[in-house]
Amino acid sequence: MNYFVTIGIEIHCELKTNTKMFSGAPVRFGEIANTCTSVVDLGHPGCLPCVNKEAVALAIKACTAMHCDLETLVRFDRKNYYYSDLPKGFQITQQFHPIGTNGYVEIDVDGEKKQIRIERIHMEEDTAKQFHKDTGTYIDFNRAGTPLIEIVSKPDMHSAKEAAAYVETLRKNLLYLNVSDVKMEEGSMRCDVNISLSKDKDTLGTKTEIKNLNSIANVQKAVQAEIERQSALLDAGEKVEQATRRYDEAQKTTILMRKKEGNVDYKYFPEPNIFPIQLDLDWVKSIQDNLEELPDARLARFMKDYELSEYDAGVLVSDREMADFFEEVLKSTKFAKKACNWIIGDVSAYLNKNNLSFAKVPCSSENLASLINVIEAGEISGKQGKVVFEEVMQGKDPKKVIEEKGMKQVSDDGAILAIVNSVLDANPQSIEDFKNGKDRAVGFLVGQVMKASRGQANPKRTNELIQEELKKR
Amino acid sequence: MEISNCVNKNVAIEKINAVQPKLNAVVTMVDEADNTKEGKLSGVPVALKDNISTCGIRTTASSRILDNYVPVYDATIVKKLREAGADFVCKASMDELGMGGTNKNAYTGAVHNPYDLDRIPGGSSGGCAALVAAGCVPLAIGTDTGDSVRKPAAYCGVVGVKPTYGRISRYGIIPYASSLDHVGYFTTNVKDAALALEVLAGRDDHDMTSSYEEVKEYSKLLNGDLTNKTIGVFKTVIDEVENEELKAQFNALVSKLEEKGAKIVEVEMPKEYMELIAPVYKTIANAEATANHSNLDGIRFGMREEGQDLEEVMTNTRTKGFSSYVRARFVIGSYSLFEENQDRLFRKAQKIRRLIVQAYAKMFEECDAVLSVAAPTIAPLINESTNVRFGVSSFAEEHMQLQNFSGYPSITLPLGKVDSMPVAVNLTCKPFEEQKMFDVSSAIEECTGLKGQCLEG
Repeated sequence: MNYFVTIGIEIHCELKTNTKMFSGAPVRFGEIANTCTSVVDLGHPGCLPCVNKEAVALAIKACTAMHCDLETLVRFDRKNYYYSDLPKGFQITQQFHPIGTNGYVEIDVDGEKKQIRIERIHMEEDTAKQFHKDTGTYIDFNRAGTPLIEIVSKPDMHSAKEAAAYVETLRKNLLYLNVSDVKMEEGSMRCDVNISLSKDKDTLGTKTEIKNLNSIANVQKAVQAEIERQSALLDAGEKVEQATRRYDEAQKTTILMRKKEGNVDYKYFPEPNIFPIQLDLDWVKSIQDNLEELPDARLARFMKDYELSEYDAGVLVSDREMADFFEEVLKSTKFAKKACNWIIGDVSAYLNKNNLSFAKVPCSSENLASLINVIEAGEISGKQGKVVFEEVMQGKDPKKVIEEKGMKQVSDDGAILAIVNSVLDANPQSIEDFKNGKDRAVGFLVGQVMKASRGQANPKRTNELIQEELKKR
Repeated sequence: MEISNCVNKNVAIEKINAVQPKLNAVVTMVDEADNTKEGKLSGVPVALKDNISTCGIRTTASSRILDNYVPVYDATIVKKLREAGADFVCKASMDELGMGGTNKNAYTGAVHNPYDLDRIPGGSSGGCAALVAAGCVPLAIGTDTGDSVRKPAAYCGVVGVKPTYGRISRYGIIPYASSLDHVGYFTTNVKDAALALEVLAGRDDHDMTSSYEEVKEYSKLLNGDLTNKTIGVFKTVIDEVENEELKAQFNALVSKLEEKGAKIVEVEMPKEYMELIAPVYKTIANAEATANHSNLDGIRFGMREEGQDLEEVMTNTRTKGFSSYVRARFVIGSYSLFEENQDRLFRKAQKIRRLIVQAYAKMFEECDAVLSVAAPTIAPLINESTNVRFGVSSFAEEHMQLQNFSGYPSITLPLGKVDSMPVAVNLTCKPFEEQKMFDVSSAIEECTGLKGQCLEG
């Protein structure tokens, strides 16, 4: 039986700030355990929180990009619970007055656009990280106090594809805004998916929550697997149990983590150590006016300004660093489509093969532009271009490579003409064929000239000169 | 400092050691090299309440759970006092985590009132009050969440100050209830009190609730002239005072102030609000305290009681680390924060607090300062005083919590003696009008003639 699927997603996203949400300790990933922390983050007695202005600015950016109503009176609350990864015994969050409400993002699923509403965006601090080993539990407080925004969607998604598209859209937007690293595998973006199935869209079934999804591909797979699991249960006349589950990649199914037994009472109340902060509206405006270009806007601009297809523009924009590199290359060449082809094709392939990303392209944008320019000017052939490219990816200047390899095309009529005539002299049969209307002969002669010039004769000019000379004979 | 007795670290330490067997006012003696900094408090020996974080010096807040806790950082005021040249001589006893008004609820045992060892010094800053009263130190830093400086000051016959909320940084103070907590202090005279605030006050970027308001040279500007000053007598409180001797002394003081040129008016608060002070205070303070002390879990610092897993370690540590009195407060605080209870308890208490503060502010429309007795009785006997403030009491006992609700600056000054025990008045001004508060206080001090009152140790 087919069921109506309802999906809501909560995303926790670490903000790309220099310091923590409420302390001056540095925010860094992959440092030695417990080196990026302070008495504030460790919850030592007597410490007080100080709101990180940079974090608020990033939250404002996210809210603006997601069309939220902005709460300019910033307030924080305490969420109380005891856990060893929560040093203060409470988390400072924004329960009662989230900084952003009533927003939306537009997703695209198989060419169909759809709005997913965002219920709220709020700021909070991250917890510490725990490692359970045979020898005991280890706690790394480096993550404790890292600024987060939590983005809560409305239950507006109805398929695994939509869920994945939503997460990807958010990921891309936040990346473009420089709000977050959004690395799901490193945990700087974490998503919890709530799924329920029902007979029709007016009733809601019992929901389960899937946690710890570490990639967008897994969001889709996990949601699909959970839909199938719940469908099978309902088909068999069984009930879905409210629970938190995780996705097991090997078994391709979701696995029970813990059952939900009533709601936990977090005893939220306003944080007394932070008075409500009235944001300076000019400051807010300056942030909003200087928002980074979002992926959709960039895609539209690429299509309009560079006359790229939606597909090409889409591929470029999907990786901000690739798109940035593309625009860098275009500073030194006007052949946008060619640049796009090189970047999507050869450059991407090279980076993949060498396990690199566009953040670390080994060639300069000028050199790639220069390569494109010499090919388009006919100075070298496309085939030669591929050879030069390999060297350019080693960081070399294409013009030097061409010189070193002696690839420079001869476009000087006199030099080509001399070779053309000696080739014609040596191939009277081809002249005969040409006169008899066999145009194929020209191709053969061009080949001979190219061979004699060791590929350096400009093929286009060679062709023209051969035709002219043949007519003379 | 104005007062010359004890302005020497070694003399102070000697005196403290001499009175400690009687008073039990100290948790930890501090023996540091002499502070060579030249400043407003050069060479002044200072006692700190044991909830003030001192880097490298044990700070227990008189709780078993922090018995072995040595902070790795200094409270902002500790830095400021050091900069000003002060010498720390001891960490003084208090009611556990600031919870209590008797100083009986300290891990190191009850503190005794230097005027009568059978009586309490008051709390929670009882150790500090006793040390200043005993003439050991001219300045002791305490904290005041619900009269915890001003009540002990009254019982021990010294000056106790709680300035405006935000005037002194709370960074590094082991909290009780953040929205009510204030740093306060004890001296033996008004000029010292004014000078101490010059050192302690000021904006601190580590405390977002600290104020940018300018810090004045209060002690230099001190002016006891009462011409054009209107003093409001807090009739609602005075009417509740049953002790005739105390009432007579208070009325005599009011007459003297009038003679000195002050205009005297009577001011009142609705009684129904006064009766709500104690329950509102307990509800808010316990709720905030529950959260504030959730960090004391045995995981990262302090006492640890082992267990099978982390959860058990936390449970065992907290069960053993806190007194039953404190645990009871946590339960009450938690209860008022439960979602189903918040509207009728915690949020309601906050609403009533706002209403009370609005009514309180009105009193100041017609006067510069409000005067009342600090406490309606002399210090109770240790045996008779209840450790628990849960019982119903007269609002005259709790009225100084109004200044914690409102954050208004407030000072307790010795008034005289009743049955050989000190009694005191309390004076409150509008926010950041500490100068006016000290000015009127110096006039009161002239009237009482009790400037510098303390026992010779």
